[in-house]
This record gives sequence, structure tokens and C-alpha cells, in this order.
Amino acid sequence: MTIADATAVAATTGASTEAAPPVAEGRQAPDGVFLIHGLGGTQYDLGSMHKRLKNAGFVTHSLTLPGHGTTPEDLVRVTAEDWIDAVVAKYREVRDLHPTLHLMGMCMGALLAAALAQREGHAKGRLVLLAPPVYIDGWATPWYRDLRPLLYAVPGLRQRMKVEEEEPYGIKNEQLRAIVKAKFERGENFHYRWVPLECLRQVDRLRAVVMKGASKITCPTLVVHAREDELTSLRSANFLVEKIGGGRARMVVLEDSYHMICVDNDREIVARNVLEFFGAAMPGATSILANEPKMSAEDLRAAVASLVECLGRGDFEAVRALGIPDLAWVQPGTNRVAGAHAGKSMGAFAGRMAHADSGAPRFTAFGTPAFNRGIALVPTTLVARREGGALESQGALLGAWHAGRLLEVRWFPDDVEREDAFFGPPDPAAGGPSGLEQEFETATAESRTLKHAPGNDELLALYSLYKQASAGDVVGERPGALDMIARAKFDAWAKRKGTPRDEAMRGYVALVKDLKARDTAKA
Amino acid sequence: MTAPVVVAVVAAVYIALAMLSGALAQEATDAWSVWLATPFTLGALLVAPRARWLAVLGGAAIGAAVFSWLIDPGRIAWASGYAVIEVLSAIAGVFAARTVAPVPLALERPRDVAALVVAALAMAIVGGAVGAGWTAATHSGPVAATFWVWTIANLVGALLVAPVVVTWARFRAKRSGGLTMPLFAAGAIACLLFLGSLQLLFGPQAFGKAGGTVGPTLTYPPILFMAIVALTWGGRGASLTALAGALIALFNTAHGSGPFAAVESFAGEANLEVQGYASVVALTGLLIAALSARERTLWREARDWRTRFEAAIGAHRLVAYEWDPASGALAMTGDTVPLVGVPASGIATLADWLAHVAPAERDATQTAFALRADGGAVTTLAYSVQRGDGTAVALTDEAQAIRDHDGTLHRITGIVRAA
Repeated sequence: MTIADATAVAATTGASTEAAPPVAEGRQAPDGVFLIHGLGGTQYDLGSMHKRLKNAGFVTHSLTLPGHGTTPEDLVRVTAEDWIDAVVAKYREVRDLHPTLHLMGMCMGALLAAALAQREGHAKGRLVLLAPPVYIDGWATPWYRDLRPLLYAVPGLRQRMKVEEEEPYGIKNEQLRAIVKAKFERGENFHYRWVPLECLRQVDRLRAVVMKGASKITCPTLVVHAREDELTSLRSANFLVEKIGGGRARMVVLEDSYHMICVDNDREIVARNVLEFFGAAMPGATSILANEPKMSAEDLRAAVASLVECLGRGDFEAVRALGIPDLAWVQPGTNRVAGAHAGKSMGAFAGRMAHADSGAPRFTAFGTPAFNRGIALVPTTLVARREGGALESQGALLGAWHAGRLLEVRWFPDDVEREDAFFGPPDPAAGGPSGLEQEFETATAESRTLKHAPGNDELLALYSLYKQASAGDVVGERPGALDMIARAKFDAWAKRKGTPRDEAMRGYVALVKDLKARDTAKA
Repeated sequence: MTAPVVVAVVAAVYIALAMLSGALAQEATDAWSVWLATPFTLGALLVAPRARWLAVLGGAAIGAAVFSWLIDPGRIAWASGYAVIEVLSAIAGVFAARTVAPVPLALERPRDVAALVVAALAMAIVGGAVGAGWTAATHSGPVAATFWVWTIANLVGALLVAPVVVTWARFRAKRSGGLTMPLFAAGAIACLLFLGSLQLLFGPQAFGKAGGTVGPTLTYPPILFMAIVALTWGGRGASLTALAGALIALFNTAHGSGPFAAVESFAGEANLEVQGYASVVALTGLLIAALSARERTLWREARDWRTRFEAAIGAHRLVAYEWDPASGALAMTGDTVPLVGVPASGIATLADWLAHVAPAERDATQTAFALRADGGAVTTLAYSVQRGDGTAVALTDEAQAIRDHDGTLHRITGIVRAA
């Protein structure tokens, strides 16, 4: 595979291993999640789970299963053992990189995750099975489904007969279904339009493996299944929970989705349950107390000291660097800096706090912190000064950490109205995305609809502009020489260092427009 | 399939169906009730791409010649002539179908069913006419009888076999989607009732030998079962069930049992009646299946249209409404939850909507709507609504009146968006 090929694959199907966040010296390596896609599918099957997990501080690993990512004909020669061997190999490759490694699979990927947990005696983390098709008995399965063992016996038919995808494509939401249908009609390579009958035979064999060995799964397991799954009924989920045992396995039943639960109406419920089950670093006061902090008292004290040091300088951008990508800052009141600022909004908040109009606020007069699990409460005073006014607001900061990373900060001032008066009324336009941000979001969506893969240089330009616009200057260590693709991407991003966010967004939008125009001309 | 494979398959199926047709011939007179072979050729032509027509016709010609040779060995000229007639009649059928609907046919619209009937008639008449002409030229039999037997047997066969070929040629195995299990079960029950009742009626039992008009009257209930099969299974199931049922009726009648054979006022009457019955059953099933498919197509189009509309207004964060001033009914489309905290389905009247308007502005807004109802030119309103949590959202509401031919107000339609 050339760099161009690999980069193209990474761009369309997701890199097999998402770059881990930089690990500070002495800090524990982050937890990992190994995600496995479904039959005929790609990482698209898993919706935004990669991103959600990454934003919660996990490193995600995935693979393109044998016979996938090319053409359906390539599935003819693939066996269930090939799939199992592939996931076992990947599992062994990444297992020791993390203190905890969770497994997660969607559809056939769930069967593979279960088979992997059985075979490897997985005890290094948890197991999530999304819509596992232990039984092919959903309400929309065709009437001739039980005839397939007879068809398997017909010489030559297994290899030649095509089994096609049709509406509802596993999606209940009609808007999303229309998008998926359009993707199929455009011939986008996110999911095979058909699979050979032989492939279903291999899935049947895999089902038998899972059914036989389900009781050998010993790790805590979450099964997520839609009541209206058109491919496989709740019987599958019940079977697994029963075999694994109610003490270890639990089930979440979704009420407003079909089979593709990670992209359908209940995708938020799926993501929330998975993150909670993994004990993920989730912002939110209620979940903070539920999370296992995975930090010693000393670690927590050191973390508080780092936060205090940043806040003492009024360096809110540095606070971001201490946290997970979805770090949230909750600033109360009805003023121009108030609100719950999470993820990218936290960047905008940091910028606003640094602005002269805000009086360059910083915290001072820190009192003795009070600790409780991953939480610390620090008495302090917010001070700011600008021409014509000064602020001195006493209160307390509540910070929450998980595995050494900051999840959330909440500021509780004694007198909110004083802050409202100083910072001034909210800017009505501040809450929503700017015109340029909207254009950027549109361009990001459009970049995924290109029919012709861009060239190597263009892919790197797209990547670097996107990263600069969305994450700022390059962070982390340069990948080693053997990892050529990751190194090329890192270098491209590094070349953009110092480029303002707006400029990067404009560059990205222009490049996507250019690619789209050429794409249309070629078509 | 490659061309040689097509030729071989068509020839083999042709010969098999010709043999089966022979088995269904009248026991007493040896008259052929139904001819299944040429209709298979016609069906294949109606679904095959044009590039495959030559292979299909070649296979049919070989099949016809071989079959002729088998029943009348040694007469090469007869075999060749017969093959030519079969090819000509199939070509006539497919070209006649093209005058009514474009081919390949799908049998998912009544127009397609009409095209199939026209094709069947053309194939039968051309085959009958040329066959009768051949008989006249060779002085090998009664010309008129040859024409009628040939024509009717081909017509019935075409209505039974061609739909099976046309509908099943489009069959593709699916992982999910298509016919659901409950519908399949309902169709299976109806199919069993249809075939079972025909067997009871036409088989060598007491039911089939009922005298008077009782026997023929009992042939109506199976048509009801056929209709249920067509509604649940669609054209594919209906065509196959009709063929199976027709074979039961034709075979038993040919062997002297069943309600039509019980009373025969002239020779061949039972044969004619069962041919007509089989045709009616087949056409009933095809028509119902086509109408049902057409309805599903229209439903899908309406759903796609609605999906596009909802996507468009959703992307612009708009809410559209249609208000009937006469009844007060208000139909809203779009996501109203961010505006008023309840879904559009929870707002059925103007009063429901006004209940969400900020109390201080409610009277003014109600007055403005009343002015609209009176034909006033209040096209754009600005007011605030309250969410469940008490926060207010400022809105702009643009509306236009829909009037009938004499200017009377019919409806007010509007678009609401956050200001």
C-alpha cells in the first residue's frame, strides 16, 4: 500500500488507530477501546462512537475486516476464521498499550467481539455488543431466510448468489435513511450494496461459535439492542445476557431505532450508555461522582496545583491542555462569558476571557482545597480589570478529574450579579456558530461526498487545514519513521503551526470547493 | 449468463414446458388446453435486455424443433417450420407489448398488465394464424379448429407463464426488507386455501361432481383467496399461485373431473370453461398485485417528498403551518420543540399555538390572526413564544392566504422562524 492509498483509506474509513493524546511524563497511559465494524460495512456502522470515545479521553483502535473496504466479490474467499484471526491479531497488538482495553462491536462486529472475548479470556476491560445478530429473525428478514442452509448445499450457488441490502437499511429515521439511500445510489464505498451468500454462511458459522461459547465470557458486558431491530430480534440480546449471566451482563433496550443503532434516532442514548459503561470521563456533575477517578490522592493534589497555576496566570488556553477534548467550563450568570462551554466552545471561551474587553480575568487568593474522589473544591477569587471598572468576585471552583485529565470546571461565585454587571450582557450572536464556522462545517460534510479520491498532497492539505482549524497548533510527538502515514500527517499539520483558526477554516473551505468542482467536472 | 447458457436454458425449459402442456391435454379429444412453452419465450423476451433477445429466440427455436422432432420424428421440415412459427409469434408478442408500455416490463402498474395482455393476444393470434396457414398449406388437419385451439391454448398459457417469468426475473435475495414474515404467513394461508379449495373442487371428489350450478358457483371462493395472495405476496406470489392453481384445474378437467366437466352440452365446453376460469383467476391476481404495487410506489413517493420537505425546513430551522380559519385547525410541520417545548403533533388548533405565545403579546397576536382570517394584509408578524422552562423566543411569522377561484379565503399558510 502506498502512502496515498493508506491516507485515502484513513480518510474514508478511519485510521486503524487514532493518535493517542499526548501523555505527560508520569501520567498514566489512557484507556483504549477496540471497535469492530459490521458485515459489509466500515467504521460508518459505528456512527460517531470513535469521536465520542476519543473526546472522552480514550484511544480508539479499529481494523478493516478481511474482504472489506474493496469490493463485495472479495468476501467470497473469506471465512469466519479469517475474521476472528484478524481481530485476535489486532487485539494482541494493542492489548498492552493501555492499562484498560475495552471491546466493542456492531452487528457482526459484535459477534466477533464476543468471539474474541471468549477466545482470549478478555479481562482487561469491558465488552459492549451493539445489535448482535445471534438470531437472524428480525421483523423485516425475508420469508426465505430459513431456506439458506438448503441453498448453501447447492454447488456454486454460495459463491454466485448476491444477497442485497434494501430499505429500511436498518434505519428508522427517514431523514437519515434518505441520506444512506443517496449514498448507496452515488456508489459511495461506506457499505457494500450486497454480500455473497457464502458470506452469510460464514456469519452463520460465527453465530454458532458465539452461541456455543457465550457462557465463557467473563468480563462485564453491555448489550444494546433495539426492540424494533429489523434484522435480529431482542431474542439475541436476551440469549447473550442469559448465557453470560445477569451478574456480568446487562442490557439496554432502545425504543426508537432499527438495526443501525449508532446512527439512528437513539444514537445519543447508545453513546451515553457506552461511555457510562466504560466509566468514561464524562462531563456533568452527576456522572463525575459515579466515575471511578483512577487517581491517587497525590495525583489529584498535583492536578489541582496545575489547574491553580494556570488560573492564577489567567491562562484559560492552558487549562484546555490539562483536560479531555470535551472539557467543559461552566460559568454562571447572564453575561457575555457565561454558559456551559464544552469542547470547541471551550476554545472560544478561552479566547474571550483573554480579550481586553473582558478585563483579562484571572483567579487569585486560592484557599485550601477540599477533595472527594476525583473532585476538588477550591475557594478563590476571580479578579479582572479594564478601563472604567474592576471585578473582585469571591466564590469557589469545583474541578473534576479522571485518570489525570481534567473533565470539568464549575465556578460558583458568591455574587453572580456583580459579574453580570462587569462582563456586560450576552452577545446574541455569541452562542451560535459564525458564518465562517458554518461554511467550515458544510465543507467538512461535503469533503465526505467526494466521488474521486483526492491526490496525496491534497489529502494532506485537507487534513492539516482541518486539524489546524479544529484543534489549533500541532501537539504531541512526531510519529516514528516506520509509521509513514501518521508521520506525513503530523508533518503537514506542523507546517500550519501559527496559522490563525479563521485562516485555516477559509483555506479548508476553499480547498473543498475546488475539489468538489473538479469532482463534478470529472463526473 | 452468457449467450450459450441462455440458449441452453431456454431450450431446456421450452421442452419441459411443452411436455407438461402435453400432459394437460384433454384425455378424450387430445385437444391442448394450455400451451406453456411459447409463453415462456415471450416472458423471457419481456424481461431480457435487447442484446439477449437473439439468444432467447435461438433457444426457443431449438426447443421447438427438438420437441416437434420428439413427437413426430423424421420430419425436418415440420420441425423447422414449427420453430419458425414459435419464434414469429413470440416476436409479435413482445413488439405488441411495446406499443402499450416500455419493456422490460415490471408488472407493477396496471399499464404493464395491459401490455402483457396485448402481448399474449398478439402472440396467440399470430401463432394461431400462421399455424392454421401451415395446416392449410400442408392439408394436415382442420384449419379453423387448429386456429382456435392454438390461439386459446397460447393465450391462456401466456397469462399463466409469462407473468411468472417477468416477476421472478427481478427476484433478488435480501438480507432484510421486502415481504415481512407476517405478510408472508398471511399469504401462505391464503395460498393454501386457494390451492386446497381448487383441489377439492376440481379433484375426483364429491365437491367437483356437484350437479346443476352448484359446482361452477363453488369456483368463485378461490378467486377471493387469489385476491388475498395478490395483496400480500404481490405479483411474484400471485403469478406463481395462479399458475399452480390453473394446473390443478386444467389437469383435473382434462381428465374428466371438476365442476366444468360434470355437465358438458357440447364437446370441448369444459375445456373452454376451465381455460376461461384459469385466465380470469390469473388476471385478477395480476391486476390486484399491480394496483397494490402502484399504491406502494405512490406511498413511497409521498414519503420521499415529505422527507425532502422536512429536511429542507429543518435545515433552515423553520416551522411551516397551515391554518383553516373556518375550523381553527392548525397543521404544523417542523421541529417546534426548540421554540415552544412541545412537538408539532401536540399543536392542533390556533388556540393551542396561541397558548404558547408570551402572555403580554397573546391578545395582539390573536388579533393579527383574526385580521388575516378577515382578509387583512397582515403577512408578517413578530411575537414571542415561551418554552416550558419559561424562557422566551422571539419569532417572525410570515403568512400568505390561499384563495379559491372567486377570491374566497381557503387557508392561511405560514412559515415561522426564530428572529
